[in-house]
Amino acid sequence: MSMIYPTIETNETYLHQAERVKRQNQMKSFLKGMLFLLPSIILFSVFVFYPMFKTIYLSFFLTNAQGATTVFTGWDNYKALFVDPIFIKSVKNTFLFVFYTVPPTVIISLILAVIANEKLKGIGFFRTVFSSTMGVSVAAASVFWLYLFNPTMGLLNKVLETSGLDAIEWLTDPKWALIAVSATTIWMNIGFTFLILLGGLQSIDSSLYESADIEGSGYFYKLRRITIPMLSPTFFFVITVSIINTFQTFGQIDILTQGGPANGTNLIVYSIYREAFVNYQFGAASAQAVVLFILILLMTALQFKLVERKVHYQ
Amino acid sequence: MMLSMRKKIVFYVLLIISALLLAGPAIMAIVMSFMTNQDILTGRLPTAFTIDNYIAAFDRLPLLQFLFNSLIVSIVIMLGQLILSSLAAYAFVFLEFKGRDFLFYLFIATMMVPFEASVIPNFHIIRDLNWIDTYAGLTVPFFATTFGTFLLRQNFKQIPKELREASLIAGMGDFKFFLTVVLPVSRTSLVTLGIYGFLTSWNMYLWPLLASTNDTVRTIQIGLKQLQTQEQLNQWGVIMAGAVIVIIPTLILLFLGQKKLQKGLTEGAVK
Amino acid sequence: MKKIMSILTLGILLLLTACSGSNTTSKSSAEDTKTKSGEKQVVTFWHSMSGAGQETLDSIVKDFNHSQNKIQVNAEFQGTYDEALTKFNAVAGTNSAPTMIQTFEIGTKSMINSGNIIPIQEFVDKDHYDMSGLEKNITNYYSLDGKFYSMPFNSSTPVMYYNKDAFKMAGLDPDKAPATFEEVETAAKAITKSNPDMKGFALQAYGWLWEQLLANQGALLLNKDNGRTDTPTKIGWNEEEGKSIFNWVKQMVDDDTFANYGTNGDNMIAGFLSGDVAMFLQSSASARDVIDNAPFDVGIAFLPHPEDKERQGVVIGGASLWMIDGKPKAESQAAWEFMKYLQKPEVQAKWHVGTGYFAINPAAYDEKVVKDAWAEKPQLQVTVDQLQSTKPSYATQGALMDMLPEGRKIMETALETVFNGGDVDKSYKTAVQQFNEAIKQANKARGK
Repeated sequence: MSMIYPTIETNETYLHQAERVKRQNQMKSFLKGMLFLLPSIILFSVFVFYPMFKTIYLSFFLTNAQGATTVFTGWDNYKALFVDPIFIKSVKNTFLFVFYTVPPTVIISLILAVIANEKLKGIGFFRTVFSSTMGVSVAAASVFWLYLFNPTMGLLNKVLETSGLDAIEWLTDPKWALIAVSATTIWMNIGFTFLILLGGLQSIDSSLYESADIEGSGYFYKLRRITIPMLSPTFFFVITVSIINTFQTFGQIDILTQGGPANGTNLIVYSIYREAFVNYQFGAASAQAVVLFILILLMTALQFKLVERKVHYQ
Repeated sequence: MMLSMRKKIVFYVLLIISALLLAGPAIMAIVMSFMTNQDILTGRLPTAFTIDNYIAAFDRLPLLQFLFNSLIVSIVIMLGQLILSSLAAYAFVFLEFKGRDFLFYLFIATMMVPFEASVIPNFHIIRDLNWIDTYAGLTVPFFATTFGTFLLRQNFKQIPKELREASLIAGMGDFKFFLTVVLPVSRTSLVTLGIYGFLTSWNMYLWPLLASTNDTVRTIQIGLKQLQTQEQLNQWGVIMAGAVIVIIPTLILLFLGQKKLQKGLTEGAVK
Repeated sequence: MKKIMSILTLGILLLLTACSGSNTTSKSSAEDTKTKSGEKQVVTFWHSMSGAGQETLDSIVKDFNHSQNKIQVNAEFQGTYDEALTKFNAVAGTNSAPTMIQTFEIGTKSMINSGNIIPIQEFVDKDHYDMSGLEKNITNYYSLDGKFYSMPFNSSTPVMYYNKDAFKMAGLDPDKAPATFEEVETAAKAITKSNPDMKGFALQAYGWLWEQLLANQGALLLNKDNGRTDTPTKIGWNEEEGKSIFNWVKQMVDDDTFANYGTNGDNMIAGFLSGDVAMFLQSSASARDVIDNAPFDVGIAFLPHPEDKERQGVVIGGASLWMIDGKPKAESQAAWEFMKYLQKPEVQAKWHVGTGYFAINPAAYDEKVVKDAWAEKPQLQVTVDQLQSTKPSYATQGALMDMLPEGRKIMETALETVFNGGDVDKSYKTAVQQFNEAIKQANKARGK
């Protein structure tokens, strides 16, 4: 008995020690990780998480113009949102806007990337022009388009009229306003999307094309069978980022339409801005912000679930 | 692979048409900025060339000061983002510790918090820190960036693990490895993130407007807004001159860095 | 390579510290100039004037700073009125708060409620300053129970602009503008008939204009005498008064004589100038610009009213100047000196001619610059006549409540719906319902 006992004991101490060392190492690597992450974590906590919690907190209150809470209302702000026709319309507009903006941006950028991927003389110049809209700020781009859409002086209506068509009330006709704002947004987003897609194209292994050439495949066959599938990870990235950005569109709405006509271009972020900056209803604004956050989260999660499986990784 | 002549012509035609369409709005703005107000209002082709619009824009506002401020703010944000996101990306790739994945998803989630929605709480923080009208107030909130961390993480993953193992054998600490191996290897991505960070900071509007109350730290985008009137008739020529002044620095940067930018962004996106 | 990289990193770090360093130095140097300029008392003045308004304002501030050597006014642009107010609310009570701020008329009640302001009346009393010299119809808006809370500043009212040449073409009398809704409709028809490319009339979807058309009929916007005697609990107009405006517009939309520019006033003026539309309502502050830029003869007339209602006049619009609480006495006193300076006839004359806003001080109209301007553009005088012929009542005194900005947006949405062929009854009903809801919500949020 006494013979066995100590052995077990040493065994246990050994195990204990090993455990301790392991735990120490774990602790050490955790601390090291934290050291590298700390600056980011601190800033995110102060400027993203804290405001987020504050927003959630505020969404359960009514506030005065200074933003101080006055009356606790529980879920009332949320309940009010789901029967508020203006908010419901802004949600609908936001989804429509994403639909009008993201697919055309990706398709146009893809076409541009494909033609800019040919080895031609002076191609660098064209690539630079195509990516140039990335360098134009929202404020400047909106001013350009505000003028283009101008009903009297604007270039677009001038072109329509000289070609014998009726002028369009771009920003004041509810049928057109959201499309007009989308067109502006597409223009602004093309630069970034183009750059990424072009890069994606260039990283496709050229031997794939060579073997297709040997088989005598046509241009569009190669496009459909090689280019598009090989680009799918790039598509996935571009679409995810575009959707998130489009959900958060603000500047062009503020300058072009201010949400009009009759709330026809009132997107969720603009609606939040208006509740907070014009109506001083920080409670309602916060509730809208929380709903928007959840919507974006769901959209992104859905994308990762449904789409990422189909993405073709090299 | 040589393209046939016919094919070449087709591509050039397509390229030229697309380039004209895309650059159209900016070209129009540049032309308008040199037109007289009468010509613009009546909507005819320019009859006279004038630089009055630029003189008026510079005369009305301290645009040079605004440009300088924009430059400072953009550069500081760019550097801050490079430092913070490369550190964070390193941790996510090379260090193994409990809760790493959770933290990574937490980082990703911050991308989904719309900035305009949290702008007022953020403004209160700046106020309490006494950072209104300082470069710190304009820049520090943007140092931490998920996009940057994500981009660099994808790039760092390309670095062979064997390299780290070798460095461990040589007795190299994490920070030294980070500075002497990881950063130099990822130059392209760093340049990409730098340009991207610079462009986005240069283009901010709502935050600089809130975080500054006078011209000492104001940025150029607010200047553009100030050229537009509320109850009087807009002078489009002056506004376009302002817009041209605003976009020229970013366009130059883009032209210079386009190749690197494209390469780096793709690496983040594809792999 | 290693070396380059480490040098680079070092450089980055250095730059960062340099930046944070320059931060503090630039700040302290700013403070230095404050104290160095010395005995000069600095007044921080937040405003929302951009474009031409800012140009004139800056020049007036410069004149003031040169006119004496004790006070230095720094005029600082803070975005739109909404943005400036949000920002002010956030910094009120801290060091970043300004000495004085310009706020639009419908922000009056929220400023009073905020508790962060000193009523101007205190300075008026202490100084025995005579406010009666100022334009009565303007001071009416800004006094509450006989007490002034803020100093009136940029003020304007809406007027009707019309194209005299187009009137001639259509066989209408260019010197007799249509005065009623019905006359406007008839004139619009005649104009569109004579020139199919020109619409007769345009109304910007702007809540302020709707409020004015309501007041011109003698209708209240809010109950409790437009919020002047007690906190309002619901809307103050009746269905006939409110709907008449919608029906009027609808009639012209159906006649195809109406030009829709949505909420964009600038596009509307551009359309007028290029002959796309013959009549429109807009702030009198645009008068100078419109007359200067029109290649034709511009007429300015009173705001129209329904035939069966007598004209009551207009409510003053624009903004006033507020004294912020919690600042050193000397600083507020300096701001008060600046406010008084702004009311001087010669300053107001410059303001009126430079921007098209009214002169708060009617004595300015006797100044030579104004007389010259009026001789050249007699239409400018119509804007003043309309203001001075307004009948004082609660309706034309204007409404006071903190939810008015929201109310405007509601009416703008309703107007835009009708402009685009929407049903009058439905849009009107929705608007009234939302308006009442907004009043209720605002009262609830105040915790009362």
